[in-house]
Amino acid sequence: MDATLLTQYVLAGLVIGAIYCLMAVGITFIYSVMKMINWAMGEFYMIGGYAQYLLLTDWLGPARWYLALPLAILGVGVLGMVVERVLLQPMFAGRLERLDEYATIMTISLTVLFRNLAVVVFGPYQFSPRDYAPPVQLGPLPINGSRFVAFLGAVVLLGLFQWVVRRTWFGLALRSVAQNRVGALCAGISLPRIDMLAFGIGVALAGAAGALLAPVFLVYPQSGALSTVKGFEIIVIGGLGSLPGSVVGGLLLGLVESLGSVLISPSFRDVYGFGLLLVILAFRPTGLWGERAREA
Amino acid sequence: MGRARPGGVAPVDDRAGRADPDAATAAAGGVPLTRSAVARPAALAGALIAAALLPLALGSYQIHVLTVACYYVILASSWNLIAGYTGLFSLAHHTFAGIGAYTSALLVIRTGAPIPVGVVCGGALACAAGYGLGTVTLRMRMLYLALATWAFAESVRVVVSMEYGITRGDLGLAVPKLLGTSSPVPYYEAFLACAAATVAALALLLRSRVGYRLRAIRDDEGVARAAGVNTVRWKRFAFGVSSGIAGLAGALYGHYIGLLSPVAMQFDEMALIIIMVILGGQRTLSGPVLGAVVVEVASEALRAYGQMRMVVFALVVVAVMRLYPPGLVGLGRALWARATAVRPGSAG
Repeated sequence: MDATLLTQYVLAGLVIGAIYCLMAVGITFIYSVMKMINWAMGEFYMIGGYAQYLLLTDWLGPARWYLALPLAILGVGVLGMVVERVLLQPMFAGRLERLDEYATIMTISLTVLFRNLAVVVFGPYQFSPRDYAPPVQLGPLPINGSRFVAFLGAVVLLGLFQWVVRRTWFGLALRSVAQNRVGALCAGISLPRIDMLAFGIGVALAGAAGALLAPVFLVYPQSGALSTVKGFEIIVIGGLGSLPGSVVGGLLLGLVESLGSVLISPSFRDVYGFGLLLVILAFRPTGLWGERAREA
Repeated sequence: MGRARPGGVAPVDDRAGRADPDAATAAAGGVPLTRSAVARPAALAGALIAAALLPLALGSYQIHVLTVACYYVILASSWNLIAGYTGLFSLAHHTFAGIGAYTSALLVIRTGAPIPVGVVCGGALACAAGYGLGTVTLRMRMLYLALATWAFAESVRVVVSMEYGITRGDLGLAVPKLLGTSSPVPYYEAFLACAAATVAALALLLRSRVGYRLRAIRDDEGVARAAGVNTVRWKRFAFGVSSGIAGLAGALYGHYIGLLSPVAMQFDEMALIIIMVILGGQRTLSGPVLGAVVVEVASEALRAYGQMRMVVFALVVVAVMRLYPPGLVGLGRALWARATAVRPGSAG
């Protein structure tokens, strides 16, 4: 195998990895603030895809995807906040007590609910909006226009997210809640409000991934399943609650999938991630950047 | 009683000693002299006989539904062993049923082995796979474990649907039937017997020292190890046993339904098992049984609504969780406690 081809696959892997990062960062962000896993992440991804598709076909017209994108992301974020306020808030009974099981069961039920609701409303069909842009030449790699847009979108969103978390007052509040809920409460931060916003933002990242990838992978009721698995694999590889872990894990997963497809066999593309996960966990049971906690 | 904590998933009967008042006395070697020690087995035996006689009263469609319900009773109960009692929140339980089913079916089809041999091999392979997964995930805590087992489940599903040369993938694999008849009644009796045997075996296991070790691991793994529990051994054991049971059940089920496809290995199936256990009540023996039967019967009753049924269903679960987290068994116990509270001394 020559060097150009290898570079092509490495680049392709990095591009898809950056998009996986959105999912993973969303999951890990919700986890670090609320200490719960949102199992319905993939369903918010799916809803993001549907929202984007509907906006493009019924309202804005296929050319104005750049307008549809923020609307879809915002819509998913608002839905997430409503879900959090109505269904997940009781998880913090008495403000500080949290119950893992409650959140797990609630979000798993939501998975079933959203998935079947999508089948009822839109039918089991696969939709696909038109490509966002014509093919682009990225160094030695010719790349599908939508993929390129998705890659750029993912990078921009991740940058924006980093900026909010690191540089703003709101980000400081989020980080303080992630560090110590009691401390944050004592400092006068409203936990319910932060939780609601954090859940909305995390879910909106998944919705963004869904909307960005709508033309690449199709939009259908089960579309969230695989992306959730990818997201969780990244989280376990990178370490729960670690943002750099999610980014590195996402890129690593994209690379392994891309190289595995070309070196071994493309049919098992979705299995290589699990292999990588096992290898990493064998050496570091809490992932690359995970905290070594007694109770994780 | 009245231990149900408001506003959360109240672990009804969380501590080992409280899990069953009889268990403590039985484990201590004493003969329990409470009234429930006689009344409860009698009631259980009566219920079992009544269940076995149901085919006399019901049509074959209802019996089919109950057969499927029995299958889910086995899956839900065995998942309750690993997730509820041992605290290993595995999300690969349906995968082990699928592994058992495919192993048995392929063995019977390829080598012409008799079906019972296939079923046992399916259970054995699922047990081995579960033991293996338990070994790999030994050091992982709650959420890591859930995520890793889920990734395992999805990977197995992808392999099964991709290796269509062997498994026929999404086309589905026709499986020879266990019995020559088309009547569901003998299958029902077989599944009922298996479900009863599973629940009885789990009850015995949980009353033994092993059961206490498993619960100790759930409550606090570090303390359990300090108290001399070989946590490595018993965690693997719990994984192996519950996966093996799931594998056996899956293999039997495959030979009843006659068609296997990777659809049965989708996460929805796991979600169904979780919903059954939670709706019934975690960490109780009767919870998963009740939950499985109620869920299966209810989802059949809602079948007229097509895809809406799963929506309705998920809404019901969300509503139950939101409004009354302890589940059906918790509700039953609360009512029972209220009913018996006025008569002091009768609670044992």
